[in-house]
Amino acid sequence: MSLDPTSVAGGVGQSHIRRDADDKVTGAATYPGDRVPVDALHAVVVFTAQPHARLVSLDVAPAEAVDGVVTVVTAADVPVNEYGLTMFDQPVLIGLDDTGRSDVRCDVSRWEADHLAIVIAHTRAAAEEGAAALAVEWEPLPLVPDVESARRDLVLVHAETAPSNTYYEMAITKGDIEAGWAAADVVIEGRYELPHQEHAYLQVEAGTAWIDDEGRVTVETSGQWTHEDREQIAHALDLPEDRVRVIYATIGGAFGGKEDMSLQIVLALAARKLADLGISRPVHCRWSREESIVGHHKRHRATIEARLGATRDGRITAVEADVWLDAGAYNYTSNKVLGNAHLSVAGAYEVPNARIDSRAVYTHSVPGGAFRGFGGPQGAFVAETQMNKLAEVLGMDPIELRRRNMLREGSIGITQEPLPPGVGLPEVIEACAERAPTDGPRQPVPPFRSVASLPTGVDDPAIVRGRGFAAGMKNVGFSFGFPERCEAEIHFHGDAGDDRPTSVDVFHGGAEVGQGNHAAILQMTADIAGVDVDRVRGHFSDTAVSGDSGSASASRLTFMAGNSVLGAAEEAEKAWRDGARPAIGAFRYVPPPTETLDPETGAGQPNFSYGYMAQVVDVSVDTLTGHIRVDRVVSAHDVGRAINPELVKGQIEGAVVQAHGYVLSEHLVVDEGRIRNPRLSQYLIPGIGDVPTEVESVILELGDPIGPWGARGVAEMPYITYAPAVIAAVHDATGVWFDTFPLTPSRVLAGLRDGAADPL
Amino acid sequence: MINRTHVHCTVNGDEVDFLATDSTSLLDALRTELGLTGVKEGCGTGDCGACSITVDGALNCACLMFAPEAEGREIGTVEGIAQGDHLHPLQETFLEGAALQCGICTPGFLVAAKVLLDENPTPTETEIRYALAGNLCRCTGYDKIIHAVQEAAVQLNGAKS
Repeated sequence: MSLDPTSVAGGVGQSHIRRDADDKVTGAATYPGDRVPVDALHAVVVFTAQPHARLVSLDVAPAEAVDGVVTVVTAADVPVNEYGLTMFDQPVLIGLDDTGRSDVRCDVSRWEADHLAIVIAHTRAAAEEGAAALAVEWEPLPLVPDVESARRDLVLVHAETAPSNTYYEMAITKGDIEAGWAAADVVIEGRYELPHQEHAYLQVEAGTAWIDDEGRVTVETSGQWTHEDREQIAHALDLPEDRVRVIYATIGGAFGGKEDMSLQIVLALAARKLADLGISRPVHCRWSREESIVGHHKRHRATIEARLGATRDGRITAVEADVWLDAGAYNYTSNKVLGNAHLSVAGAYEVPNARIDSRAVYTHSVPGGAFRGFGGPQGAFVAETQMNKLAEVLGMDPIELRRRNMLREGSIGITQEPLPPGVGLPEVIEACAERAPTDGPRQPVPPFRSVASLPTGVDDPAIVRGRGFAAGMKNVGFSFGFPERCEAEIHFHGDAGDDRPTSVDVFHGGAEVGQGNHAAILQMTADIAGVDVDRVRGHFSDTAVSGDSGSASASRLTFMAGNSVLGAAEEAEKAWRDGARPAIGAFRYVPPPTETLDPETGAGQPNFSYGYMAQVVDVSVDTLTGHIRVDRVVSAHDVGRAINPELVKGQIEGAVVQAHGYVLSEHLVVDEGRIRNPRLSQYLIPGIGDVPTEVESVILELGDPIGPWGARGVAEMPYITYAPAVIAAVHDATGVWFDTFPLTPSRVLAGLRDGAADPL
Repeated sequence: MINRTHVHCTVNGDEVDFLATDSTSLLDALRTELGLTGVKEGCGTGDCGACSITVDGALNCACLMFAPEAEGREIGTVEGIAQGDHLHPLQETFLEGAALQCGICTPGFLVAAKVLLDENPTPTETEIRYALAGNLCRCTGYDKIIHAVQEAAVQLNGAKS
């Protein structure tokens, strides 16, 4: 834990109460859906509801004739009808009109939530009535609903731009794979099906747009990177970026699900259309829960085939894997997510010989995109389950197996480069081994019987218990040569004779999605400025005043924002010593460069920092009902330095429970390109009665040599190892390996009956 | 013109009057007619508990009631939990225990937890889980929420003795 609390109140290492908490407990905090100006018009975004169809005709006149409807925005209103975070492959609006300066064909709907039109009216009810009145004719086209059918390339999702649905591929070849198999005494083979996951942030997408006093198209919403939103809006509207302003209200969760565009561009288009019509009123839009679940991307569904070779004494000799991610209808960030799955499928181990081929595949399904872990959960699930199966076959303690193969200081990674200095993997593994050794005694647990009508007994033979282990690593920050950066500006205020500033302003774009990033920025600023945190004012997430922070993703923001704050404070300190009042420092932090990988060998340095984690999970399985209870979790992390230990603990507990849903209960039904269960009554995220009985967070502060105060990142790491640890614990209890999940009671019962997992 | 019903009720101790159509949810009326945006909408279908309110002291989802059903009732929302600037112990323990992250579920949890503690000043952990089973949180993992409710119960009982 924190070793040397610094002298200022609310400095680094203190569990200071986050500043936004006061408004959040009184109901005063306003999220995008709460901020509806009294004179606002209301917009409804019309989805095509067509997983694959050609638009034959669209007549907006019946909608415009509805009482209260002001106007309808269509593709004809989009100057550059395309967007996409890492490649432009998606029309903003489907329409028959030309696509402006875009080459993306816009007369075909490839996803049920492609946008067709924006209906703007005086009331939401009138906008909904107008949306229902649109006269639309579609010609259905043949569907590729999943990766298996898409790989045949009989129907192309993007025929004009991608000659194969398998549109993005990565490869790793390391060492001599044949020699690796020849040296192997044991080979583990598996085929794994990883499911979609819905983010289910409690705050559904909403926002308001207007033209501000300086004539900027202004969008106030929730997201993860104001400057990226601004870039995407400016591109589609064909405006210079400084003519667009993006502001974040209080954000109600994101988890990667708000990294991509939802309402940002359509709200900007609506505001611009109103301005063109001479109507100077703001426009507000909010999605329903159903629109949110249907209308934004998911954690990728994936199929992974893997082989793992090892000697009798547990040394890895070879790893082979084939990864297919279902990218859905548009790329979103699939090419980047694929990169993470690609690297993590080899595990956090020294692998002398490897062949890994990974592909992202277009389908007419919901797009896959960013979600806590960003490809890491899929890859690490396979890597860790393969290792746990290997331990079983060898009759070896799974933790001992890791000791013999784990990456350590100076190890060469799967991309044939040394890991960045500060490899904390051995320490987190040993932290777990101390607290919950694989063969150690289990803690007593209360009786468990999930169905009230059945009897409960402490020694009930139908209740079986098991323990599972998993370990891993996750990069901090953007990978593969992406231009990583983070900006901060700091003002020191005071009189000429003051030794230290009397107050400080910090300007930062970092998105406060709930994780506590603003609290961390304020604490780090206070610490380096040498003033109590109550004297630090934050000015956040408004492109008119805050610089480019990069996104709240990739477990990067504490690391990146902290380094930007350190740089800006150093500049402000120089100005302060030179007598400037206020003393202003601005800084753009750029971490060590990363590289795109060699297309054939995968060689290169993909990342500049990692966080390391290991987990032990104890479960009880009710073999009569198929229910699983997680009795205990030990989650050990090298976070480098805990800027605010309670908030770090919050990240660990929250990530564990989100992964708990992924592996046990969350089952998104996607059939023929349509999500069939877009409600929280049908898609079951964990409630307070479903979660692990005990989560013990073990926070190691080993320090990243280039992290601010030594900090790494923590947001994704506890998520990634949880599913394989649960699967291993269930195997320990039942003897059955489940190579697919969620482990719903019916799947567990079927697995117990058949000795293997069935598809749902 | 659409028919609107006149509704008279008490909200957080104040008598209020507003107009609403028969199909307006109480959630929409509280948020748009009365400006009580602390009552959040997470689903609109009674699954998440973000819009938890009290109706004559009993816990309800505002999204599952029509606004005219509030006629003559006493409604309580998160905005009524603090006494002026003086936070309720539950609010204090949620703050101090870091029992919130994004915070959009927090108003619902506070309302539901207050109903529990009003009825049962010394709940067991299991009773807390049952009382909050209708409230979803996607950020915290719930552990800190349970601790905050337990701590608030201790403080409230200490204040009484």
